[in-house]
Amino acid sequence: MPSISHWGLFLCASVASAARLTVSIPSTPPLLPNPGTLPLSTHAVLVGPPGVRYDVPIRRDSTFVFPDVADASYLLTLHSRDYFFPPLRVDVSKATDASQQQTIQAWQTFRGNEWDNKGPNYGSGKGELQLQLQPSGHKDFYQARGGFNIIGFVKSPMILMALVSAVMIFGMPYLMDNMDPETKAEFNEMQKSSPLTGSGGAADQLQNFDLAGWMAGKGTNSASGGGGSKKR
Amino acid sequence: MRVPWIAATFFLARSALAVFADEAWNVDYHYALLGLPKQSTSFFHQPNPSSRASLIYTLSEEGVLGAVNPRDGSVVWRQLLLSEALAYNVSFLRAGEGQDTVISGIGSQVAAWSAADGRQAWILDTAGPLQDVEILELSDGRETAGAKDAIALSGGEHPAVVRIDGTSGAIKWQYQWDGVDQPYQVSASTTEVFAILLHKTLLGYVKLKVVSLDPVTGRKTDEHVVSSENELASAETIVSVGANSASPIVAWTNSAHSVLKVNILGTKEISSFNIEAHDSHAVERVEIHAPYHTNSLSHFLVHYETATSHWADVFHIDLKNSKIEKAYSLPKMTGKGAFSTGTSDANVFFTRVTRDQVMTVSSASHGVLGRWAVAGFGVAAGPGESVEPVHAVSEVSIKGTSVSAVRSAVLLSTGDWVLLRDGSPVWNRPEVLASTVSATFAIPAEVQEFVQQLEAEAHGNPISAYIHRVTRHLQDLQKLPAIMASLPQRIVQGFLGTSADGGIASDSFGFHQIIACATRDGRLVALDAGNPDKVLWNQQVADLQLGQTWQPSVSSPEGGIIEINSKASAGVRYNASTGEQLFSILPIDETAGEVALPVKYAIHKGELDATVDTKMAWHFTPMSGERIVSLVPRPVNDPVASIGKVLGDRRVLYKYLDPNLALLVTANDVTKAATFYVLNTISGAILYSNVHSGVDLGSPISSMLSENWFAYSFTAEASANSPKGHQLVAGELFESLVANDRGPLSASANYSSMQTGTEPFTLAQTYQIPEPISHMAVTRTRQGITSRQLLAVLADSSAIVGIPYGVIDPRRPVSRDPTKDEQMEGLVRYSPVLDFDPKWYLNHQREIVGIKDVVTSPALLESTSLVFAYGLDVFGTRLSPSFSFDVLGKDFNKFQMLATVAALAVATFVVAPLVARKQVNARWQFA
Repeated sequence: MPSISHWGLFLCASVASAARLTVSIPSTPPLLPNPGTLPLSTHAVLVGPPGVRYDVPIRRDSTFVFPDVADASYLLTLHSRDYFFPPLRVDVSKATDASQQQTIQAWQTFRGNEWDNKGPNYGSGKGELQLQLQPSGHKDFYQARGGFNIIGFVKSPMILMALVSAVMIFGMPYLMDNMDPETKAEFNEMQKSSPLTGSGGAADQLQNFDLAGWMAGKGTNSASGGGGSKKR
Repeated sequence: MRVPWIAATFFLARSALAVFADEAWNVDYHYALLGLPKQSTSFFHQPNPSSRASLIYTLSEEGVLGAVNPRDGSVVWRQLLLSEALAYNVSFLRAGEGQDTVISGIGSQVAAWSAADGRQAWILDTAGPLQDVEILELSDGRETAGAKDAIALSGGEHPAVVRIDGTSGAIKWQYQWDGVDQPYQVSASTTEVFAILLHKTLLGYVKLKVVSLDPVTGRKTDEHVVSSENELASAETIVSVGANSASPIVAWTNSAHSVLKVNILGTKEISSFNIEAHDSHAVERVEIHAPYHTNSLSHFLVHYETATSHWADVFHIDLKNSKIEKAYSLPKMTGKGAFSTGTSDANVFFTRVTRDQVMTVSSASHGVLGRWAVAGFGVAAGPGESVEPVHAVSEVSIKGTSVSAVRSAVLLSTGDWVLLRDGSPVWNRPEVLASTVSATFAIPAEVQEFVQQLEAEAHGNPISAYIHRVTRHLQDLQKLPAIMASLPQRIVQGFLGTSADGGIASDSFGFHQIIACATRDGRLVALDAGNPDKVLWNQQVADLQLGQTWQPSVSSPEGGIIEINSKASAGVRYNASTGEQLFSILPIDETAGEVALPVKYAIHKGELDATVDTKMAWHFTPMSGERIVSLVPRPVNDPVASIGKVLGDRRVLYKYLDPNLALLVTANDVTKAATFYVLNTISGAILYSNVHSGVDLGSPISSMLSENWFAYSFTAEASANSPKGHQLVAGELFESLVANDRGPLSASANYSSMQTGTEPFTLAQTYQIPEPISHMAVTRTRQGITSRQLLAVLADSSAIVGIPYGVIDPRRPVSRDPTKDEQMEGLVRYSPVLDFDPKWYLNHQREIVGIKDVVTSPALLESTSLVFAYGLDVFGTRLSPSFSFDVLGKDFNKFQMLATVAALAVATFVVAPLVARKQVNARWQFA
């Protein structure tokens, strides 16, 4: 949108020798079905060697017209509020003699790559070039909040673990009740002998650890079967 | 090769802060401004012939062309025609009757814009600076079926009149003349085109020369001089050259404004009228208001203004015998007034807006068709200032023979553009803010007063402090009934999430800071950052003559006070909340002498000089051929929470923190090189420097320094094996690059930049960015705990992006994946291309145009930084670079929380009897 500088004198007077570049935006469904909806601030910038810069606004027919481009190698960028456009390299080379016209060529270019690394050709012309440039993506400005999601909530490992333990707590007594006496006795026996949960197991010892006794220097033998186990 | 980059960007975007959909449009505010409208380039016009509703078009003093909806004052479209606002610009805006384009002329360019959406239809560069642009309204069937043609008058070395095709913008004919006559204006009747030239006489006077041209061929048909030999001392007393009316006129006065002379273009007679003095004051300004339509009655109004009053005369032109006669007068009124012209078919109506009434008369007779009292314009003004209309444009609705409604867009002396429907204001646009040159945040005076009271209690003796406190609480008690009354409403609003943030006095988060803006025309305007829809106060602080400029800098040296410094006056202070000027004796700071003498530095004649107590401390001379582009010091108030950076394995890299750092940029215009220096401003030592060659020095070079890091950007020129485009460089200074090691500083307990010359270890990294950054700023928070964001103004996208520091961190590992420890720190692999994620755009879908500077201020909440950008547009928002960790955001669902509590309560009541029964059963039942 900044002012359009460095243009030649009279348009009609300069048409004969000037290189004219027209960039149009085709309808590209589903991304941009109607280029007429592009915001007014959409503009195209040609950045040439230091000090040479052309900036033109979008026209009624959704084109950008650079009526008189001097001989140089340019970076063409389209700025739009809602869409990304790929950057192009535009070369305007000198006419070999006065009767000839300038040659304009355009390629895709890649930011961060050396200038000679050119992409697909977008066209070339004598004195005039019309090229079409399609948007490469839509700009999405807004971040949605991570709202409350019941499935995601249930899926989280913490909740899964809690659910499993809840099932164990509420389900185990039922299971025990429904076992036949023999299996029950076997199960109890198994639990007693298990090193983790049996009466002499690690968990039991940890739970009924007699801190005062240990501080007083009592042995493990006297500690087992202490006050803690009576409560059960 | 590109896939990992995209992946990296995506990852960063997820981790970085973004604009949330529910906060956008609520937290941020934006005034899409045009600048002060000019009378000659503002009008009501239907965007296309079929529509009945009209828009207000204007080409402002800032060179912005725009259309405003008269219903709500919103901008329908706008185009920035000047990148640099000039103090005095000559610009033209015309719309042909029944046309769907408006034609602008500014500088040397004539352009046509679609009136409905503002898209360009054509543009034409004329050879010299434009003197005038008109639309050719031909009545005898010679006009083309399509768009009406335009005629332009250009000056310069080869002055010319050109006729421009209204559809294509091609030149139809061109008339050039030889000689020294200066082009002045162009005018057209239905049958002829007139070029009015200024012919300088030998005695230094000016004569008006009228050249008649054939509109079809552009050939000269006639030429004559209308004003006599020594009548006009300069072109300034030429009042008006009417155009497009049934009979265009040229009018001028003598230098004492006592005689008005009028000539109908195409004739040779001059009618002369005496200007009667109504009181002792001399007439200062004479203006002519005439309809702009060829089929309107050829009546015009002459507006006279003195220092204290104004009046007007209405004249009629008799087309048959080309005679001008005075029809009637509108009486004198005190104060300033604005006249505007409205038409309905052939009838012409004049609307007069004064400070207390709006009235409409027909041009045919002096009977008042409508009169409405204006109770007030609804704008903020300074104490004792009377708001005066400066100029107006209006649209008259006619029903039968009476005026049913008048809409007037009035520019007021406060710089507000107000629409009056009859006599009542409908909207106002604070266009004065478009010329803001300096702005600052200030704490409201009420808050500061409260802080002072608390301090008095803390430091006074216990008994008086206790009495002070009790009286303060008693005073607060008086507000209790009001608070109680509003309590239910506040609770309901709190749950519904519709609560406003409250007033300035009850601001617990520090969002309600006052933003003071000094404007180019000498006004100081204050906004409330928490409630930005209204201007708090607006007053004239500098009396500037026409064409005079000032360079004010506004600051807030202490809470509740705004200080303006300019060349003319140093340190004028104002109350931040009311705008009242404080008559304070200059504070003499006794402690200042005891502190070490400050080193003062300034750019002087292209060199950087530093002085201590008037003695030269150090001196920085750029290398030969180089000039200083900019100097950015570290912000004065730049708190840093941690002196080190904690690595992933809990070791620490120590930051090189020095309050006296500055980033200096120099440029060499011959070799196209830009050099960036980090200086110690006490010793003058160069801590870091880097040269970039092949820099486009015409593009903006922006730079920023904060904490222990700096950033700058520039546009690089292409060569065969290097990339072309815009680059952003970020650098960070460390005491040493070995973790847990402070380098040479570890041994010393004290540190002075005068004595020790420790040099930092600097890491720097370059990124390719998609567009140039015209200005940089950084977020600021209260304690500096929150991570910082680099705020970059993108002029091409009309946006401001907040780049998280993690993205430009120079410690990002290059050409390898980050190790586990680096991943813990949040470092990702370096990629040379940095895309600005749209989610970083602080302005999201808003388009903020012409931003020149961004100021930031910490809120009371550590997480939040207030941002205010100005230039043409005014934009502000609140930022939480590390998320809002100390306040409940909008995502906190109060209903969900209440529902959870309720569900738990219900569950407790349901389960309690069950548990009780089970316990009882456990005691009494045996298996």
